Amino acid sequence: MSTSGFELRNPRRAWRISTGILIGLLFVIPIAYVLMISFEQPGHFVAHPLVPPASPTVSNFGAAWSQGDLGPEVLNTILYSVVAAAISVVLSLMIAYPVARKLIRSATTIYRIFVIGVCIPLPVIPLFIEAQDLHLYNSQIGYILLHVEPGLPLGVILLTAFVMSVPEELDEAAWLDGCGYLKYLFRIVAPLAWPSIVIAFLYSLLAVWNDIIGPVVFLSDPTLFPVTRGVYNFYGANVSAYTILAAAVVIVSLPVVALFIASQRQLLRASVVASR
Amino acid sequence: MARKPLKVRLLSRPSRVAMWGGLALGLGFFVLFGIIPALANIVVSLTDYSGLAGSSTSFTGLSNFTTLLTTQRPGFLSSLVDSLYFVVGVTLVQNGIGLALAHRLQGSSRSAAFLRVMAFLPIVLGVTVVGIVWLLLFDPQSGPVQAILSTVGVHSSFFGSGNLAMPLVIIVQVWQNLGFTMVVFIGGLKAIPPEIFEAGRLDGVTPWRRFRFLTWPLMAPVVTVNVTFAVIGSLTTYNLIYILTDGQFGTNTLGILAFNTAFGNSADLGLGAAMSVVLLILAIVVALPLVAFLQHRERRLLA
Repeated sequence: MSTSGFELRNPRRAWRISTGILIGLLFVIPIAYVLMISFEQPGHFVAHPLVPPASPTVSNFGAAWSQGDLGPEVLNTILYSVVAAAISVVLSLMIAYPVARKLIRSATTIYRIFVIGVCIPLPVIPLFIEAQDLHLYNSQIGYILLHVEPGLPLGVILLTAFVMSVPEELDEAAWLDGCGYLKYLFRIVAPLAWPSIVIAFLYSLLAVWNDIIGPVVFLSDPTLFPVTRGVYNFYGANVSAYTILAAAVVIVSLPVVALFIASQRQLLRASVVASR
Repeated sequence: MARKPLKVRLLSRPSRVAMWGGLALGLGFFVLFGIIPALANIVVSLTDYSGLAGSSTSFTGLSNFTTLLTTQRPGFLSSLVDSLYFVVGVTLVQNGIGLALAHRLQGSSRSAAFLRVMAFLPIVLGVTVVGIVWLLLFDPQSGPVQAILSTVGVHSSFFGSGNLAMPLVIIVQVWQNLGFTMVVFIGGLKAIPPEIFEAGRLDGVTPWRRFRFLTWPLMAPVVTVNVTFAVIGSLTTYNLIYILTDGQFGTNTLGILAFNTAFGNSADLGLGAAMSVVLLILAIVVALPLVAFLQHRERRLLA
């Protein structure tokens, strides 16, 4: 682009800068506005909703934290999403390895079923009935177990692709040395596959973290609610407490935003891989 | 295939047990929480199961489906119209803006990298946070958009307005997922060999013609991916609508209607399951010819 015609350079530069700013506004403004209002005094906000806070305050965060009871909900969310995603990734690897190495008959069929599984929406109604029959309804362990399966298709696809890229000679050498299967899988393959494992883990984790339908369908006890349902209920009950709601949204977003900043490179690249 | 038995035999007996055990555990989860519920959906759709404790359940054959097609549930037919509006709107806007974003942000500059990350952020924030952010922005009492419109004397209830709710829901749905569409399009742009553009530049081709006759045809495979994901995704999704409008004000797509029929006040799991069966059939009926058409298009354009 930079080698193009000399006389074109300035208009093109102006065009690039203005479109860049436009895109920035499109994605930054909604988030920046809510962030700004989270530091706003309620009285000043009502009078001047479009003006930055005259005297910024952090009291909204304290109010949101205590009124929304966010602490226990954040802990619930961390528990659910970390454990479910971890189980999901371990199971994905234990499926992906024999499938990728064709150690079993119908490995290709199994792989194809998982590819279809990525596209099929979660059948919530039968899962609700199943959850009750298996005593997984309204329980922390049940909620975790119900959230393992949605992470499997993508995990199996990513890890199958990875295992296929590991030379088979490595398997044979390890096995002839008498290295046990699970030890081989988790001590040798898993560290090699670490980037793929991290991506599969993060996508599972985000899916559980951001799920709003699951907490509505599978939980009834408010002390078990994850933060999505907590903050949604908080919104419904306090529609007029604008500044406190903004603070609640900011608090709830902080953990995932931190995680995202740490891993954005891998996440963006993974969605290209996953789309193939 | 020939080397398969040889490979398994390299494993010791305990290792083979471990392999089968791990595989069985993983597939067990998949079958129990993936395949069985998917099939059970059909069974539930043939009953009058309410999910309420103490109520009896009986097989009612296809009566849930006849209920849908007759006028006893007027919400069903209009939900198909709402779904069509939503799917067409989301697919066109998401792919149009996604392609423009990809074209602008494919470079390796710092600002492009930053904007790519910003565009991806809504996916990470999730539907609940994104939904509430937009509900706050378009709050009819104290939101900033209303404050701006008030200066010219315009008032709207936005997500509570029969005319505006659906366009707004489409905008938020697109905003939420644009990052993914963009990243996939960028992947497609990057896959085009640069020599093709070099040749085009020497010939003095205008940027529009370069896009129209080189980039666009060569991107056919990622267009297939993005269009299919947008159509199937928007047809079956309802979590954002649940947050934004809960299906009110002309946003009652089949997905949210099925959910609310099952878990709302009527607690009719059988009828809700029938709706989600219809939704799945609809998704397959739309997806198969769509994918066939797009793949035919790929072959035609890349030949």
